[in-house]
Amino acid sequence: MRHKSLFVIVVMLAALIASVPAALAQSDCKTIVPASPWGPNDQTGATNRVTPAVTKAAAAEIKDGKVIVMSYPLADGIPLFGTRFTKTILTATSLAPGAAFGENQLTYMEDTWLSQSHVGTHLDGMGHIGRKDCYYNQTPMGKFITQNNITRLGLENLKSFATRGVLIDAVKVYQQAGKFKGNAACKKPCLEKGTVITKADLEAGLKMYNVTLREGDIVIVHTGWGNLFEQYPAQNAVFNSGQPGIGKEAAKWLVSQKVVAVGSDNWAVEVIPGEDPKEAFPIHNILITDSGIHIIENVRTDLMAAEADQTKRATFFFSMTVPKGVGMTGNFVAIEGIR
Amino acid sequence: MTRASRTPALRMGRRRFFLGIAPASILLLSHLAGPAFVAVAQERRYTVAFANLTEEPGKTLEGTGFTGREVRESFVLAARRYPIDLVFYDNQRDPAKALTNAEDAVARKVNVYIQYLDDAATNVKVGQRLREAGIGVLAINTPVPDAPLYTIDNRAAGRIAGEALSEYGARNWRGQPTIGVVLGHLKAQEYRVPDRAQGAIDGLKRQLPAIKIVPIDTQGNPARVGPLLAKVLASHPAAKVLVAAMDDASALAAKTALESAGRLSDSAIVGQGVDRSVHGGLNDKKEIDPNNRGSIVVGSVAFYLDRYGYEVLPLAMRMLRGETVAPRTVTPHRLITAANVFIEYPPYDMN
Repeated sequence: MRHKSLFVIVVMLAALIASVPAALAQSDCKTIVPASPWGPNDQTGATNRVTPAVTKAAAAEIKDGKVIVMSYPLADGIPLFGTRFTKTILTATSLAPGAAFGENQLTYMEDTWLSQSHVGTHLDGMGHIGRKDCYYNQTPMGKFITQNNITRLGLENLKSFATRGVLIDAVKVYQQAGKFKGNAACKKPCLEKGTVITKADLEAGLKMYNVTLREGDIVIVHTGWGNLFEQYPAQNAVFNSGQPGIGKEAAKWLVSQKVVAVGSDNWAVEVIPGEDPKEAFPIHNILITDSGIHIIENVRTDLMAAEADQTKRATFFFSMTVPKGVGMTGNFVAIEGIR
Repeated sequence: MTRASRTPALRMGRRRFFLGIAPASILLLSHLAGPAFVAVAQERRYTVAFANLTEEPGKTLEGTGFTGREVRESFVLAARRYPIDLVFYDNQRDPAKALTNAEDAVARKVNVYIQYLDDAATNVKVGQRLREAGIGVLAINTPVPDAPLYTIDNRAAGRIAGEALSEYGARNWRGQPTIGVVLGHLKAQEYRVPDRAQGAIDGLKRQLPAIKIVPIDTQGNPARVGPLLAKVLASHPAAKVLVAAMDDASALAAKTALESAGRLSDSAIVGQGVDRSVHGGLNDKKEIDPNNRGSIVVGSVAFYLDRYGYEVLPLAMRMLRGETVAPRTVTPHRLITAANVFIEYPPYDMN
């Protein structure tokens, strides 16, 4: 009898113990996201690849000191994804009569900037995109969220770096291959939305300028779609309706090339509508979640594309300023390509 | 020995053998045959014609909210996966136009012709003409003799909706007076809506065998839903109401009517189609949405006309590769609710 009672208690305890992990269930991120090659504590991602040697080699790209703008100014009315917003409020009270300070009549102005971080030309950090609750380097992100920010994978972990940028002119690739199909709303040639830029297209674009990708490069794809961004707000609806961009095969190939970031002149880098209607932004998962490779959206590429076309050189020193907001998932950036 | 039953070792052995000789053979053949062989060795491209039912702006198809433009667009997007060049035709729901389109496709020597026309007699002629020209044919929703058919299953779709409502009623209102309202363009034989309605009735009775069924025929005009449903509600003031709407527009109109009558808490609705009016894009207010789980529109049965290209072009590719294609492939209808809508229809588009 005593044995029977003991057995019942043991079974009940076992059931209770078994139910605890179920009640606190979280996804097993080790089965959902790959581990970082830089170890279990890595929060930086692919910018780990930018070593002093990589930066030194990139510096060789500076030949005449020409600086080419590769970001758009932030302004009211630019196209924004979903419910994102950006708004500035000017404080100029000291310009009121009698409000200047001292005999030197000092006045000042400043702004309140109400903005989401993923606006305009911006960098997606490691905390931006996950699969379920699992983020880069098998991070169970549910454990690292406060009301205000993330406490792991925040943008402060981005390495300070400078490296080589490589422009791939997909517009030119499509024109030369005789498969170019534009969009009438673009004032300069642009690929039509839904155009899947493939691995073969990327390779053709590199071959066009005799470039071989190196570990630590940043690849910037010119699709021409950014011309619609430039026409804001008139073409915001067209700009947001979809876009040409890289497909999954191309993304996986870029991962294999060990690049540190992929940017483009559109709002998601990847093709929209995607290759599979039941997948949402799969390239974001491939690059950020699985590989620690940053995505840079709304890069201004037309000036560099024109420069490359003129000089027959598509590589440059990639200089990017990223305000490293602690605990942030991304931020607007300023990019210059130096030649 | 079937392919599936071959042992792994045998398969591996053959693969090794092939891998061993294949590069050498290709090199030898390309050397002997020159550039022509290299061109053949590259992926072959095919020309596939799609003759759409109608692309008249605003005209909806199959008693759902989808338009011909959405069907066509799905072919454009799906073709990105395949070595296919598409040629589009608009049958304009016109037998003469359909025959002209087929003649043009014969002249163009397309490889496969996908016929979407709801006129069986014309489909016989079209099929005959294309077969004479050696062109493979696929049919959508209305058969072409001897051609594989991709089709909606209205009966099954209706049943899914009815069963979902029946389960809802049994779970929430068991023992309380409940009526089933079957609502929509009920006599639209050309869209096989009567089949859809019968399926819904069968489904409603699955868990509520004694349920009273009230049919409401809107004759295809969702504006009639309000007054007609109001009459039914007035004559059943104490009843719970399970509404099987034959399309999404009718489902949304029914919701408005139930709201006006103050009967939201007595009702549940399931629609048919899952067109954009219920799932929407990123910036739309969506009726079926994880953040709108309380809606009395508990779901809608997917018809996927906006994914026909993704469903039909793989069949065309099988034909082109000489593989067997089933004589009938049915749309995988399923109930879309707040729980799975973002999986089935990720709202990644902003317009």
